[in-house]
Amino acid sequence: MNKKFFILFLVLFLFCPQKTLSQTFTSPTYQIQWGNFNMTGGRKTSNNYILTDSVGQNAPGQFDNTGFIIKSGFQYAYEQQKPFSFNINSLDINLGTLAAGVASTQSNIITITTPSGNGYQVSAIADKPLTIVSTNITIPDTGCDSNDCDKTTSTTWTNNSKYGFGFNVIGIDSSLVATGVGTSNYFTDSTYFRPFAATSKSDNPQIIMSENQSATNHSAKITYKAVISGNQSAGNYQNSINFIAIPKY
Amino acid sequence: MSNFDLSISPAQIEFVLKPGVTITQAYTIINNSTTPLYLDTKVLPWYPTGDDGSVNYQNILPNPKISFSLANANLQLEKPFTIPSQGSQQLVLKIKTDSTADLGDAYYTFFIYQNQNTIKSDNTSAQATGQIGSHILLSISQSEIQTASGNVKKFSITPKIKDVFFTPINFTGDIQNNTNYFFKTTGRITITKNNQTIKEINLDPSNVLAHHYRRLNCQENIGCILNPPLWPGHYTATLSFDENIKVPPSSVSFYVFPFSPIIFFIFIGAIFSCFKFFKKFWKPSK
Repeated sequence: MNKKFFILFLVLFLFCPQKTLSQTFTSPTYQIQWGNFNMTGGRKTSNNYILTDSVGQNAPGQFDNTGFIIKSGFQYAYEQQKPFSFNINSLDINLGTLAAGVASTQSNIITITTPSGNGYQVSAIADKPLTIVSTNITIPDTGCDSNDCDKTTSTTWTNNSKYGFGFNVIGIDSSLVATGVGTSNYFTDSTYFRPFAATSKSDNPQIIMSENQSATNHSAKITYKAVISGNQSAGNYQNSINFIAIPKY
Repeated sequence: MSNFDLSISPAQIEFVLKPGVTITQAYTIINNSTTPLYLDTKVLPWYPTGDDGSVNYQNILPNPKISFSLANANLQLEKPFTIPSQGSQQLVLKIKTDSTADLGDAYYTFFIYQNQNTIKSDNTSAQATGQIGSHILLSISQSEIQTASGNVKKFSITPKIKDVFFTPINFTGDIQNNTNYFFKTTGRITITKNNQTIKEINLDPSNVLAHHYRRLNCQENIGCILNPPLWPGHYTATLSFDENIKVPPSSVSFYVFPFSPIIFFIFIGAIFSCFKFFKKFWKPSK
């Protein structure tokens, strides 16, 4: 029996660390002592999954009590680290040379990512209708097919004898297939249009896309459309459109 | 082709402040665009609208007892600055409250927005610009812990009568905050049958702002739902909140009936009866 204990002691003595390691970072003005070492951790990816892990740390998990919640552990740091981000893939919306009775369209894509627990809303507002700056002549806002759409309501606009400038927003997936995610409350499908709100008319920005749950790389395609009549003055009509992304509180 | 790709972290900050206190908060702004971004900053007050966490910036005057500035040595609020492509900038926002500031909540958004660019195109064109914001929820109080109280404005179930299979049960509800300070919806929906708990669905801790209401969200991130199959019977769903939130619990009932099994057996019985009926007239050919 004593012989077995001796062998066990010898094995532990030879193969186990002879001192406890910890990590200390120092500078002339601070010292950080790390009291917790995980044995493995990182970010693993495959075609379908992303896995982040931390193995071996002390007491990870969510601890609830009256008046407070403690989220303990390195994995919760991801919740804090994920920023709120907003992408517009192209800022130049060139509608080209407009021809009477022919719809000119252009599109760009907006993409949004929110931290855990936050939904989002994206609003849009133009500085003015499409305008020749030198003459102040404008392309009118679209009224859609039945003159029933406005800055807050979208309706179908497929008739090219209905003149004006408007836009559609449709949620898309990573393959650019229309899903309506985030936009279906504002635009039923890709045939629904409405004019932009404009600061020159003292309008407020109007919500064009929103979700109540957190989102990762949720995208929407914005299609801008202009149709002019034969009486529309020739020239370069221009305006600026501001897209505003904020989280939900 | 120029683009706008900007991120801000944190997306929201929440502070309890005593009147007269000044705090600072560092924000990290990252420009992931392919070109430098010419940016500006501003802080706007807002009020909540609807029950889904939306906000409105119109017709609200800033509180003169709360002021904002940037603590960066080389930057000022509402003055332009540039972040190079793939670069980042830390902005340190200083929030100062006056010692005579009214007790209660105040809500703001710290905006980073793109300066309007001159359109260079010779065609008819629009120039898009981007703007991104991070919310600031301030509770100005003499006490660190606020009393959270309110009431369940609405708690409903659809459908109230359902089959044992197929569609899930959906729970919806609004909670009203009756205090001057926001609180979080920490609680649960407990589904019971014959006084036995079938399922507990934890609420997502969403903010319910002062004297406003908020739709309940659940932590499963797929809505507050109870999926079938369910045993037939009478069920009760109780919405309750943690002890620190003084909101009376609210209960509603729903019933599950075995409609589809009954229809299935009636269908099978009808086929069997038909089979027996027609069998009488059927004579096998010799």
